Amino acid sequence: MDKNTLLSLEKVNQLSLTDAQRDAVLAFFAKQEEDMAALNAIDTSNVERMVHVMPILTVVREDVEKKLFTRDELQKGAPETMDGYWQVPRLVE
Amino acid sequence: MKKILLDDMILTKDLPTAAGSKMLDGYMSLFDATVVEKLTAAGFEIGGKVPVGEMAIDLVGETCYAGATHTAAAAKALKNDTVSGVIAFDVNGAPRRVAAQNDLIFLKPTYGTVSRYGTVPVACSGETVGVMANTVTDCRQVLTAIVGKDERDGTMHADALTYDLAMDMAKPAKKVAILKMAADAEVTAKIEAAKAEMAANGIEITEIESAELMAAKTAWNILMCAELCNNVSRYDGIKYGYRTKNYKTIDELYTNSRTEAFGDLLKTAILFGSDVLSTKNYMAKYDKALRIRRVIAEVFAKLFANADAVLMPACSKMAYTDADSAFEENKYTAPASITGLPAVVAGGVQLIGPAFADSALLDLAKILVKEGK
Repeated sequence: MDKNTLLSLEKVNQLSLTDAQRDAVLAFFAKQEEDMAALNAIDTSNVERMVHVMPILTVVREDVEKKLFTRDELQKGAPETMDGYWQVPRLVE
Repeated sequence: MKKILLDDMILTKDLPTAAGSKMLDGYMSLFDATVVEKLTAAGFEIGGKVPVGEMAIDLVGETCYAGATHTAAAAKALKNDTVSGVIAFDVNGAPRRVAAQNDLIFLKPTYGTVSRYGTVPVACSGETVGVMANTVTDCRQVLTAIVGKDERDGTMHADALTYDLAMDMAKPAKKVAILKMAADAEVTAKIEAAKAEMAANGIEITEIESAELMAAKTAWNILMCAELCNNVSRYDGIKYGYRTKNYKTIDELYTNSRTEAFGDLLKTAILFGSDVLSTKNYMAKYDKALRIRRVIAEVFAKLFANADAVLMPACSKMAYTDADSAFEENKYTAPASITGLPAVVAGGVQLIGPAFADSALLDLAKILVKEGK
């Protein structure tokens, strides 16, 4: 991991770090890279991926429309709304 | 009425849920988590929330934006005997460390037996709603109230539909394997005390070593951060949560809201998770970790053919300093997190059992803390 790649990761994830934070994150990445040796020492060429830890229940329900919440309720926690819409900065000049 | 506290990762419509993050400061859910409904139906009174570290991924709550720590709040309430238990969300082992360092009981149940519906999602493939209590009896009583069917959680284990902890499936443990792991003198003494107590109760002890179980930490760091990165992408300063005052464009709104609201540990986890999911690293890291998860599950399956449980530390020491890291310390908790196996902390040590052996683990915990004697 280098600083330029980290900068692109910040951009993708909508974050902006200070230089001191970047140094700490790069040190963290270096440690994780070092630890990969323990994983790579284990042969997994004939091992299947395990996405779910247990056989999971497949949820099936009737396809019935339910109105769980009103617009007002859903917008209760919104930082800014206007006339029933979520308010964002102008996207098109 | 029996009073219970909830981790601040559990959604409640009458109490704010912040998940330890400035991003969700003051957030009011529109519904209660299934565990809250189940507890209320079983006659428990919700006594309040316990602060957690941001998204519950830290050591013991030290990254909570509000400054209060899980250890202090949960342990104090339980020690003062003012509550029957604390419902704690185990993402990266924090409640197990808190229990071990404060002489409390904590059970991380078998994955998929307690509904996660209405919890703040972080690392969905391994996070589990568990119970912290002062005694094994209290822990079992609270757990009995929250286990079982919930069709709103698509990751419930199929057998959870009929899972009933009250129907004790436990048989007396005869053999326990001890996983050799380095820890400080105080933790080592607790392991030795646990060994002695089990031996005194006729339980055969064998010592084991496993490079695969040691690899769980790195694999869990990869999977947890990858899932976390996706789960916290929903926090954008638009629909709910924190919004920066410092923006002109939509990109500035997103970036400044997330940058100002998230703490350093969470930012690191997001960036790491994003990196392991990148085209360049997906196969070498994320895919590798998924395969290691199966290897670890198979190692446990072999161990459980000859032993009823695996005994190991839950932490390296009894108190942390600023130099300690949750992403290193989770070497003790990752084996159960990555496999979804049940784990109980009692007498300052951890026991991991086969899936659905939760009740048997609680019986072993009773032996360790000499409860009922």
